[in-house]
Amino acid sequence: MLPFILFLFSLIVFSAQSAFIGLFSFNGVTPDLILILAVYCGINFQGNGGVGMGCALGLAQDCLSGGVLGINTLSKGLIGFFFSALKNKIMVDGVIPICFFLMLSSFFDVLVFYTVWSLLLKGESSGVYLFPDFLIYAGYNAFAGPLLFFIFNRGKKWIMLKFPNQALRPL
Amino acid sequence: MIKRGSKGKKNIIILSSIVFLSFVLMTINIRTTAGSLFLEKAVAWVVAPIQSGFTNTVNAISGMFRHYFFLVGVAKENEHLKQNIDSLKKRNVELAEQILWQDRVVGLIEYKEQSNNKAILASVIGRDATQWSKEIFINKGTQQGVGERMAVVTDAGVVGHVVQALATSSKVLLISDSRSAVDALFQETRVFGVVAGTGQSFCDMKYVPVSAKVEIGDRVLSSGLGGIFPKGLVVGTVTQVKKKKQGLFQEIMVTPKADLARLEEVLVLLP
Repeated sequence: MLPFILFLFSLIVFSAQSAFIGLFSFNGVTPDLILILAVYCGINFQGNGGVGMGCALGLAQDCLSGGVLGINTLSKGLIGFFFSALKNKIMVDGVIPICFFLMLSSFFDVLVFYTVWSLLLKGESSGVYLFPDFLIYAGYNAFAGPLLFFIFNRGKKWIMLKFPNQALRPL
Repeated sequence: MIKRGSKGKKNIIILSSIVFLSFVLMTINIRTTAGSLFLEKAVAWVVAPIQSGFTNTVNAISGMFRHYFFLVGVAKENEHLKQNIDSLKKRNVELAEQILWQDRVVGLIEYKEQSNNKAILASVIGRDATQWSKEIFINKGTQQGVGERMAVVTDAGVVGHVVQALATSSKVLLISDSRSAVDALFQETRVFGVVAGTGQSFCDMKYVPVSAKVEIGDRVLSSGLGGIFPKGLVVGTVTQVKKKKQGLFQEIMVTPKADLARLEEVLVLLP
């Protein structure tokens, strides 16, 4: 049941990301709901579930975007991996830690994107245009993160109540 | 100690798998020049209906709010019609939304009738899922005759071209995307160049010789040489010109004539 709920939830997040998140754009920059979800999965899934979710979310995001296939798979997969590996050593509770780790993840996401973009598409696009926006991007993700974490936590609570013994860490 | 070692090994395997998977995808993607991968089509096929539903709901709600507030004054003036006001409001909201839609579409239809090209009217149902590329999703696909490499325009000018056509929806690469390039010329001087996207709201006109006379406000049209856009479509206007002392070409900034940030309806030009 959990995979089905996750699939449905991911579909809603993807639709929200591509259909109406533009309404909340600031200076043309919108928060990356998929990145926030990948961080959340990395922290909250047992074992290496967060890595799988990160990769799957990144791959789907690649398919729904115009970039080179694999960039988001790499960045979201690695983000899922890092949080999956460090979840027992770090504390991602409360507004400030969530903001901090989301900001860090956003920088990492941009870094991966810029590196791959400039390595693979050398000559076609400099990727320099990313830089004026990436601070706003990171800030916006950090700003939207706590609210989305709250919503995801409510969803998680509901899943754990309805379907106990699932691959989620207890709250 | 042994446990920690095996965990480290496991982590290295996972990390390597992520990097390997990503590079395999990138390699396949770069090597596949014709059309899009099955995976992309499958994901778009699954998401498109929900995306469409979301867009319709958001439009309906925002339209209702916009027109409800507009009609508050009318409701006060018509106190004696209180019994009917709810149904009238609803009806008015629907009509006002329809008028707004018609206002937007009339321009497109006039353009369609004036031009020699056959075209299909399509609504924008979604935007790119990432920050860094500029694409839109439209609600027409192969079932309606839309195919890849078809030009997408509005009555104001060129919007982009179809890069992926599914059965009932399509993906359009906007001219502002950094991978987009449109062969173009200046309307006045007939000097050729290439309008390349920058990933931002403006484009660059490349390969225009330093000797060419270019002024701010000059209109840029499609040249018809790229094989996608018919000749004579308005691409944009020149908003900045820089001539370097050393260098063969000018640095020209072109602002697209079509408002790419607020697209709601577009025309897909059929070949």
